Amino acid sequence: MGEIRTFAEGERAPRVVLIGLASCFGCQINITNIEEHLLAVLGQIDMAYWQLTSSAPMPDEFDVAVIEGAVTTEEAAETVRRARERAQCVIAIGACAATGGIPGMASDDLPGHVAAVYGEAAPEACGSLREPVPVSAVIDVDYTVNCCPIDPMEFVRVLDAALYGSNYLPVTSVLCGECSRNEQGCLYQRGQMCLGLVTRAGCGAKCPALGRACNGCAGLSPDANVASARYVAEKRGFNPARIDEALEMFNTVQLAAEGEE
Amino acid sequence: MASTRISVDHLARVEGHGDIRLVIEDGAVTTCEMAVVESARLFESMVRGRLFSEVPYIASRVCGICSASHVVTDLRAIEHVFGVEVTDRTEALRELLVYGSYLQNHATHLFVFAAPDFLGHKSVFPLADDNPELLQKALGLKALGNELCTLVGGRSIHPITAVVGGFTHEISADEYRRLAEAMDEARAFACEAVDLFRDFDTVDVQTEGDLLAMVASGTYPVCTSDTARFVRSGYDFNAQDVDEAIEEYPVGHSAAFLARARKTGMPYMTAALARVNASWDALCKEARYAAAKAGLRPPEYNPFANNIAQAVELVDVLDRCAALCRRLAAGEFAGSSEPVSFEVRAGVGVGFTEAPRGALFHKLELDGEGRVVRASIMTPTAQNIANLEADMRQLAEKMAAADYDADMITLEVEKLVRAYDPCLSCSVH
Repeated sequence: MGEIRTFAEGERAPRVVLIGLASCFGCQINITNIEEHLLAVLGQIDMAYWQLTSSAPMPDEFDVAVIEGAVTTEEAAETVRRARERAQCVIAIGACAATGGIPGMASDDLPGHVAAVYGEAAPEACGSLREPVPVSAVIDVDYTVNCCPIDPMEFVRVLDAALYGSNYLPVTSVLCGECSRNEQGCLYQRGQMCLGLVTRAGCGAKCPALGRACNGCAGLSPDANVASARYVAEKRGFNPARIDEALEMFNTVQLAAEGEE
Repeated sequence: MASTRISVDHLARVEGHGDIRLVIEDGAVTTCEMAVVESARLFESMVRGRLFSEVPYIASRVCGICSASHVVTDLRAIEHVFGVEVTDRTEALRELLVYGSYLQNHATHLFVFAAPDFLGHKSVFPLADDNPELLQKALGLKALGNELCTLVGGRSIHPITAVVGGFTHEISADEYRRLAEAMDEARAFACEAVDLFRDFDTVDVQTEGDLLAMVASGTYPVCTSDTARFVRSGYDFNAQDVDEAIEEYPVGHSAAFLARARKTGMPYMTAALARVNASWDALCKEARYAAAKAGLRPPEYNPFANNIAQAVELVDVLDRCAALCRRLAAGEFAGSSEPVSFEVRAGVGVGFTEAPRGALFHKLELDGEGRVVRASIMTPTAQNIANLEADMRQLAEKMAAADYDADMITLEVEKLVRAYDPCLSCSVH
């Protein structure tokens, strides 16, 4: 992270591909949702492959690979490894790609979940299933755009940094500071448990500002102190185990990894 | 023996991952598969044991386009279990949220996914050179849907504010009025969209399956009725009995379960086209006029007409949204949207809505703590695949009989698949 990358001199606009793995496609949709800004961005790059919006086939060579979705099959793992070999820069977008996200909830007991939905075995069309993991568990990722869904303008900022080497410092603090600046009061004071205590900031604390507790979609902050969050929750009358349970929604994979350390 | 193989890997301009496999031998289709090659997504299992309050948030992630529909459907299922009666104002806001996703979905599908086929482009973006005015208006309509969802739901996808019993936040009366004006202004372009799609040439395919849509007397319902109608066979069922009315069944080539009507054994289509067929009389006057002008009148069984039906719904939805916004601004709906209080209790409930792409059912069994014991989701696309395959077969045989080459057949088959507006990621859940 942080290394400034430069692209080959010449006339050619940087070639970008967008690869969708297991996901709701919402982050890709959200990129189309910036409408006119999108046209401005597309005017500056060669968006060579984007299955959601174009029938142009995947090129052999490209500069930047943008990856949405969690790695949930061996085929997907192979796809991201190939993308890593070819691209100078890999950007993971959205909670699924960044933390395993919602698909990661199945990593606690994959065979059990498959049996519950499909009976004995999943159909062949599902591919070779593996425990869901974020893209960074399979390959090195240069930039990450967090949240479910991503803020598409944040994606544009990251793309800008990736293409032109401008500075990009990922936010590391927890959400509470950002939330305080919205001056909407703390949800704990309204009797609601909130994961803002441990979640990475950067989203502007949209959910708490609208009266809904943070669900941890941006992933655990590197500064997070989960033990102290449990303590706060307990002080406010919640079963402290609810913090861990609520974190499973978007952070099952990371919690399991930390548990093993 | 003349043999034509059509094989499309990872079909473009649809949401999700799907392959098309067709083999035509001596004019007869011997293989016809819409293979949904989505990884297992396992939502129905992942929500087991989770608290009811988290379930709509999780289910929302089934789909990036119709997330609002998944949330409202789940809320209706949970409220059925708990016996929650929401206020008229909350019902109106939920309708507005679902309509917002109609605007987003239909504008995205019609212009970003479907139109390039007819305009001879690989994507919508070359329109920036060819027809910048059309592109700007299309994106403007899509942006209006995003704005509506953002103002009502808190963001353009995966809404924040809709919870069991009501909403956690509401916008001001002035913002509702401003939205109403924007809706009024957008209607002229929606009418143009109906004409545009009317002018695109399509092959005459007549689906042999049934059509399924929510119905309610005198209205064009999207999230306020529990009555579903098989339009062609002419019978209704209550959404709470969906398991008795619809059978889901697995096939090897698809990660999604397919569906058919238990009573008739027929595959069916559920989509804007089914709704227009079922509730034609309740369309607003301008929408009905635009549809009639475009030659879309019930009964209409050509699946390609789903594109026109979506455009007609754009006209209708803009009219409804403007009226809803004005009534919300004027405080005409009883009660507030603040979540009503409720008691958690065990039970089974089905949530039913018309998502932009068709009928959506969520069945939830909750225990006494409000945790999920069992969950079952039926998305429009999963229900549509069997019927889509039957239509693909009909289309391919028709074109093979008229000596079209494989490339031409491939293009038309792709157009047909896109006309269904499938969400393949949704169909696997």
